[in-house]
Formats: sequence, C-alpha cells, structure tokens
Amino acid sequence: MGAKHPPVMLLDGNAGLPRETLGNKGYGIDAMRGHGLPVPPAFCLTTEVCAQFFADPQRCLDGIWDEVREKMGWLERQTSRTFGRGPRPLLVSVRSGAAQSMPGMLDTVLDLGMDDAVEDALAAVSSAEFAADTRSRFVHMYRRIVLGGEESVEVPVDPWAQLRGAIEAVFSSWNSPRAIAYRRHHGLDESAGTAVVVQAMVFGNFADDSGTGVLFSRNPMTGADEPFGEWLPGGQGEDVVSGSVDVEPIAALRDEQPDVYDELMVAARMLERLGADVQDIEFTVEEGTLWLLQTRVARRSAQAAVRLALQLRQEGLIDDAAALRRVSAAHVETLLLPSLQPETRLAAPLLAKGLPACPGVVSGTAYTDVDEALDAADEDEDVILVRAATSPDDVQGMIAARGIVTEIGGATSHAAVVSREIGRPAVVGCGAGVVEALAGRLITVDGAEGEVREGILELTAWSETDSPDLAELADIARRISPIRAHTSGDYPVLENTSEAAVADALTAGFTDVISPHPLITMLTALRLSADSKGLADV
Amino acid sequence: MSELTVLQAVRLKGRVNEAELAATLYEDPAGVASTIAQLTEVGLLVAGKTLRISPDGRGRLNALLAQERSGIDQDALAAAYDDFRAVNAGFKALVADWQLKDGQPNAHDDAGYDAAVLARLDDVHHRVSPIIAAATAQLPRLDIYADKLAAALEKIKAGDTAWFTRPIIDSYHTVWFELHEELIVASGLSREEEAKAGHAQ
Repeated sequence: MGAKHPPVMLLDGNAGLPRETLGNKGYGIDAMRGHGLPVPPAFCLTTEVCAQFFADPQRCLDGIWDEVREKMGWLERQTSRTFGRGPRPLLVSVRSGAAQSMPGMLDTVLDLGMDDAVEDALAAVSSAEFAADTRSRFVHMYRRIVLGGEESVEVPVDPWAQLRGAIEAVFSSWNSPRAIAYRRHHGLDESAGTAVVVQAMVFGNFADDSGTGVLFSRNPMTGADEPFGEWLPGGQGEDVVSGSVDVEPIAALRDEQPDVYDELMVAARMLERLGADVQDIEFTVEEGTLWLLQTRVARRSAQAAVRLALQLRQEGLIDDAAALRRVSAAHVETLLLPSLQPETRLAAPLLAKGLPACPGVVSGTAYTDVDEALDAADEDEDVILVRAATSPDDVQGMIAARGIVTEIGGATSHAAVVSREIGRPAVVGCGAGVVEALAGRLITVDGAEGEVREGILELTAWSETDSPDLAELADIARRISPIRAHTSGDYPVLENTSEAAVADALTAGFTDVISPHPLITMLTALRLSADSKGLADV
Repeated sequence: MSELTVLQAVRLKGRVNEAELAATLYEDPAGVASTIAQLTEVGLLVAGKTLRISPDGRGRLNALLAQERSGIDQDALAAAYDDFRAVNAGFKALVADWQLKDGQPNAHDDAGYDAAVLARLDDVHHRVSPIIAAATAQLPRLDIYADKLAAALEKIKAGDTAWFTRPIIDSYHTVWFELHEELIVASGLSREEEAKAGHAQ
C-alpha cells in the first residue's frame, strides 16, 4: 500500500497524522509534545505497518528495521544516552496503540534494552540496587507480556532482539482471541490495526526526588475543583496502577517537591483546556524533573459527572449541548437512589481496604465471633461479621450479618462466594490485624469500593427538584431539548421515563410533557434526536 | 451413629435443627434424635431454637478428630488433599464465573453463558470423585460427601440451579466447602493457615 508518509514516525509534535494512523497513545504523545509539554521522546510504527506485518511478519520487520534503528538514534540524541551500552544507557518502553483501546492487546513492556553490560553501566551511574531492580522488572515483564509467561523460553540477551521481539508481540496481539472477540462484539474495524509506540524510559525508581503518580485534574468522585491523585516516591508506573503498594495522596508531592507540583498543575490545566474535559494523567518524576506519560479523559462517578458538566460549562470550556451530553440518564437514575455520597465517604476515616466481593453499602457493629454475632442479630442489632477467613460454620453468621469483612481471601474465596449468593455487601482480603482492629466498632462496609470506614454512614439520594445541580441542569435542558419536560402543567403526561415513551412523544411532535423525572426524559430526548441526526459522539 | 459424626455435622452447619441434621447425615431421624439427646445431656451440644456445639463439644470433637487422624496413613491423605487443592482452584474459578459475568453479578439471563459454565462442572466432578475415593480409603466416613455432591449435581442437571451455590442447603458449593474443611482438618492443618498459604481461598 502506498502510504504517503514513512512507516515509522517521530512523535515530536510535528507528526501531523490522525489517531487512526498514530494510534491513541501516539497521537496523544505527539499532541502533548506539540504544546511544549514535557513528554519523553518517542516514535511510533504506524497502524499501516500492522497490516503489512500480518501479510509477512519477518519481511515486514526486515523492511522497516533500518528506519527503526535510525529513530532509535534520534531517541539517543534527544536523551544523550545510548541503546544497548553505556556509559549512559537508554532504555525504552514499547506499547500498543490502537485508535481505540481494547482488552487482550499487549499493553506495555518497560525497561527494554537490558543486558549485563547495561546493568553494570546503570549501576555505575546510579546504584547497584537500582540497576538490579530495573533489570528484574524488565525480565519479569518481558516474560509475562511478550513470552506469555512461558518459563521455558529465554528472554533475549541482545537489546535489539528484545526490541524486535516486543514489537512483534504488540502487532501479533492485535489478533489475540480476546481482541478479535472484543472488536466483533463492538463492531470495530478488523483491518484498523495497532500502532507500536517506542518511548525513552524515565525512572521514578531512580533515586532521591523521583517517583511516579496519577493525577486527576479535578476530583473524579465528588466533582470538586481540586486536584486529586496518588504519588508513590521511588516507584515505577505499574506500581501505582496495579495497586500493589501503598501510595500517598498527591498533596505529598506538593510538600516534597513544590516546583514539580506547580508545573504538574499548570500542565493539568492546559490538558484540561485542550481536551475540554477533566484529565487522568500518568506522570513520573526523575531526579526532580517532571515527565508526563499519558493523559486521557477521566472516568467519574455520577455525582462528579453532573458537577463537572456544570463547572466546565460555567468556565466556558463546553457549551450547553456538550454539558448535557456529559450526563447520562443512567447517571441521574443512580443519583436518585439512596447511596453513600462520595463526600460522606471520603470524610469518614478509612479503617480497612480489601477486594470488593459483593456490592452495596451497610453499617453496623463489627462482631468477630460467630455465636456473638448470631445472638446480637437475634436482638435485632445491625451486625457486620469480621473474620480472618470464613469456615463452613460461619455461614449462619454471614446470613445473620448485614455485611462481611475478611482478612484473607480473594475474589473467589468462600466468603466472597457466599456473600454474593446471599447478597451481603462484602470486602475480603483486608490483611492481617483487621479482626482485632475492627472488633466492637461501629463501621460501614462499602462492598463496591472495597472499603471499611468508621461510623454509621448515612445513605442519601439526590432529588430533581431539591438538588440545585440537577435543577440547574434541567433548566439548561429545557432550553435546548426537543421536548421540554415538567413536573406539572397542562401538557400530555408520560407514564414513565423509558426510551420508548420518549421516542413516542418525539414522533407525536410533543414539545412539552409532564414526566415523573423531567431531566431524565429530556436527556433521553436529546440523545435520541442526536442519534437520529447521526450526531452522536463517535 | 457415632458421636464424632454428629458433633462434626453440627459444627460444620453452625446452627441446625434436628430434621436438617438427620437429612444431611442421611440418617434415621429417631436415631439422630436419641444421639442428640445424649450429647445435649452431657453438655456437648446446646439445644435452643436450633442446635449448636458447646465449647466443651468443640474440645471433645477436636480430640476425636485427632484420634481419628492418628490411625490413618498421613502421606496418602496429604496426597489426596494436594490433588483436591488443584481441583479446588478450578472449581472456585467456575463458581466465580457462575456468579459474575464481565465483573458484574450474573443476572442469569444468558442461557448460553450459563450452560457453558455449568458444562465445566462435569469435568470438576470427574476430577474430584477419585480424590474423594482416595480420602475415603483413609477416612471411611467421608464417603457421604461423594453421595452428597452427586445428589447436588443431579438436581442442577435437572434444572434446579439453586443447588449449585446456595448456602445452607446441601448445594454443590456447600458440600464442597465442608469437604474442604474435612480435608484441612484431616491433614492436621487449620483454615487460617491454609488461607494464608493461599490454598483455602
């Protein structure tokens, strides 16, 4: 195929190609670099190479390999490091980058470019500990991700062979069974292909003044306009994402490295303006220098969806129609049900954290002995059963309890299985010492978040008329919705808020209706009319 | 009917009434009633709205179980328990797939999905049967678990899927859970130790 651009593109802010060609990650890196943001230098093999790869893998890679080496040379010059040798070795990450992310794709291999000499050189410029840690991370990740956990296959010794192996594995993963099934299910284009992003590594596990974190430009749970995130001094990216270690709140970075923190806040505001939405940003600090690794639109709670839509509209980042598109009927339905409001939850001290086994929020007194729990429940006390692990004879106690907490056990543990079966909110695997720590206390179990918090926390619901945020959103909706919905007046009455009822009203040409939930009705009407005009978000 | 059998059954059920106890033991209710009366009389069981084991009863049960263990080939039992642990991992994954679909509670509205999950139970049953036979060669009273698992499987196959994972009734999962406990105890281990080692999850 006669591509009008090279198969390997620098992501230096001037790539000038669409997401479909650079992939989502590559496009994001190029855009951030284009705005002068500190992103480690990177290049990508475009999605067009993917098709050639499947036609003949080895010939494809042979054909572009000189270009890959040339672009690696560019990374070396940009970083004043050298790949595969010292004295200042360059290590790279290799990532997949389809235009749309999907499960089953090879995700990320970090710290690639490592052999004995490189480890020695790294040890000389940092410490033997850092070099060994980095190498062990690389070997584990390469084995797990590129070699599929196969113990019998050796990780290649030669850094260039490592690079080629990783690129090959990324392309191959486009056709993994899970990825194929996902594309089929979502009707995505089979021939779109994935790009491969190769980026210079920066190290959060380097030394002092280093670390890694995740920043949400605003709080994605409450919707408050305040930075929210996590900071892990001395950690690498996957440490934060995997949740395998304890992290600090983002405020810790402000205390430790105020200049870096300020620079990060400025970058977050810029990315928010560019994306016209709240961002979820992965970053690393290497010896006091900030690097942005990835940014994407932040996932958010229903509460935050409403508040952020109104805030961003107020700030002029989005218009009325966009603000209404940011809130779904499902969000409003969620808010109208009694639930633990994020601000209530976050204000209560966290007593234990584990795996969410069965969703729901319940409160009561923590009992650690099954007989005592059963007796208390007989007296109509609200009981939370807290056990190290559950045995068969705990089942009666679990049924009598409103919620369940265990120290040991995963998502398929007996406690998890039984809690789901009987519909008791449960948090499992909270760690040793939890039984002792919780015994006798008044606690709230949040089975969706996997948290145990102090006190009896009240569940509350929003209301379309009494919650100012929903009332404001409804006012905006009445201005632009094809149907204005009201709680009273001399208009046709919709029996319910179903899509079918709204569609019928639209077909009948009603402009004003009475609805049990006017905002939900108007959000549905807006979406239906956008769908029918082919204007839905794509 | 032995003291051990009744004490162990009451302990595993936690709280249970006489009729349920006779049913789960496949025993004649009159015989069970008289054993219960004796054990309650000497303070090993506590009778109220339901039966439960007393602290003395627990002590007595532990002594009886230790005595029972001392007469068996520990290596053979350890081997059976090892094999069980391997099948247990697959069974637990199967149960999770039954309860959760794409990370959300399974609404059981996708017959194809449910059928595919249940089809895997046959394989689990095939694999666990010889393991129970090997354990039963050491502890004959464990043979009842083979019968109870088979009974639950039959009900599931007849379309009554509550017998897969519902607690309290002798569903496949309830029986499995109790069998697992028996094998832990017969190996001289505790559930806490096993859970910490990642085997009783």
